Amino acid sequence: MTPQTSPGMTQDFMMTETDPQTVKSPEVALAVRNLNFYYGENHALHDISVNFPARRVTAMIGPSGCGKSTLLRIFNRMYDLYPGQRATGEVMFDGRNILDHDLDLNILRARVGMVFQKPTPFPMSIYDNIAFGVRLHEKLNKADMDARVQDVLTRVALWNEVRDRLNAPAAGLSGGQQQRLCIARSIATRPEVLLLDEPTSALDPISTARIEELLDELKEEFTIAIVTHNMQQAARCADQVAFFYMGRLIEVDSADRMFTNPKQQQTQDYITGRFG
Amino acid sequence: MTLATATQPTEDRDRAGASRSGNRRSGPDTAFHLLVAASALLVLVVLGGLVLLMGVGGSQAFRVFGPGFAFRDVWNPVSDDYGAWAPLFGTILSTLIGVVIALPLAFGTAFWLTAMAPPRIAAIVGTAVQLLAAVPSIIFGMWGFFTIVPFMARTVQPFLTHHFRHTPGLRFIIHGAPFGTGLMTAGLVLAVMIAPFMTAVMRDVFAAMPNMLRESAYGLGATRWDVMWKVVVPWSRSGMIGAIVLGMGRALGETMAVTFVIGNVTAVGWSLFAPRSTVASLIALQFPESPAGSLRLSALLALGFILMLLSFASLALARMLRRDTK
Repeated sequence: MTPQTSPGMTQDFMMTETDPQTVKSPEVALAVRNLNFYYGENHALHDISVNFPARRVTAMIGPSGCGKSTLLRIFNRMYDLYPGQRATGEVMFDGRNILDHDLDLNILRARVGMVFQKPTPFPMSIYDNIAFGVRLHEKLNKADMDARVQDVLTRVALWNEVRDRLNAPAAGLSGGQQQRLCIARSIATRPEVLLLDEPTSALDPISTARIEELLDELKEEFTIAIVTHNMQQAARCADQVAFFYMGRLIEVDSADRMFTNPKQQQTQDYITGRFG
Repeated sequence: MTLATATQPTEDRDRAGASRSGNRRSGPDTAFHLLVAASALLVLVVLGGLVLLMGVGGSQAFRVFGPGFAFRDVWNPVSDDYGAWAPLFGTILSTLIGVVIALPLAFGTAFWLTAMAPPRIAAIVGTAVQLLAAVPSIIFGMWGFFTIVPFMARTVQPFLTHHFRHTPGLRFIIHGAPFGTGLMTAGLVLAVMIAPFMTAVMRDVFAAMPNMLRESAYGLGATRWDVMWKVVVPWSRSGMIGAIVLGMGRALGETMAVTFVIGNVTAVGWSLFAPRSTVASLIALQFPESPAGSLRLSALLALGFILMLLSFASLALARMLRRDTK
């Protein structure tokens, strides 16, 4: 089955061969074409084609095992760490196919940041957690690094909470603070794309709300792809929503349309809680 | 009953007392309670007994030679004059050599097995590591005797002597006739013996590290080298200290394998290629020849006492280092 690019699909969010060069179309940050993914013999993603508009939030929803996290992990080639996992097709990012074998992964990953289900602070100080990624790619003097650390911590609304203990271990922060630190760490390398894999699944409602607010601000600068199990979260945060089922992209549309008037029966069933 | 309850913390004892007065604890329960408490108590008894045996047995030597016994550089059964310095020096140095060589080996193997190896090959190598750990030390002794000793005597020592004889820093380390036995040989054999244990511990430590943490580091564009040194090593520091202490403990007390390859000469010196002795090898060799009640036997028991202290000290050091990391 090929993904349903229904005629009524908004031109704001889809730019396919059939609706070329619409003036309203925002630029596309990630263009996925005929993407297939395999875990060894297991064919996990089937012929996915979808655009991720720049500086918008795209939420990926679907039941467990539908392939949404798999897709996310293709965008920074995380699957390369594991033997036997491979992808075919095309993911265009800034004029290059991410899947190219000669692509410099370290540079790709500096440009495509990732945040995980659980906070993953490194065993070092708050300051060094931020500086870690920056030092990999840039040589900054102390003052510039200090400024960078303050800047990203301010943007995730963590600066006032940690400014007096930047040299304390990051493990001492609360779960919500740790996750905001991880987001700060990801944006410190100044990526263009931010991948979020269920970033609030381990957090309490208040911390979750703060992260969601944060996404609203971050999308002014970053293209955000977020995997979530939480339908309300997708409705609150996303501009575009993609629904996956059994390794296939069933439907993609603006969040408004997706949650009020989905084209596909399966989407309707899933978002109304009839399965998954 | 008094013995068993005496070892319990106060609140436990109170609860036990309350239940006894309330007559709620059944017979089998009490018996079980006594049994487990007694086996736990046995640990203290055995440990105390060992220290006591070594201490009392060695007291004659300590009386005759004073507390300086540990640092006297003499071991002469003919004139009945003994000191622990030569074997102690040999034990410490051979252990250090063994750990220094085994540590990178174990670290590299464990890191490769957990982070890089294809699963099928990792399974094979992992099993081989366990098998290597199960080989009895006497086997390593014979292997060292027939393989490492001739290799050192015919290849390594002539090579080093030829090239570094006049190098100021190295001369005193490689000095000595090419017997092939000595601290370096013992250290090598020890390294091969303890590396599998250290590998097994480190592998568990690395495997316990959340995948997400590793991926977070790679996700920022870190190379394997960055991930290893800046994330994996700091994260697993405490576990790695545990691995080192385990290896050290085994190397300190290793007797048979070392006895085969160290040359068994009670001398002190910095040459890593001259025959030496260790505490354990000296005790094993001379114990059968030392009559009961002799000063020599007492000196050997005193050596045992010092070896125990050394092991305790390494454990204490490990605890201190671990506390630092928290």
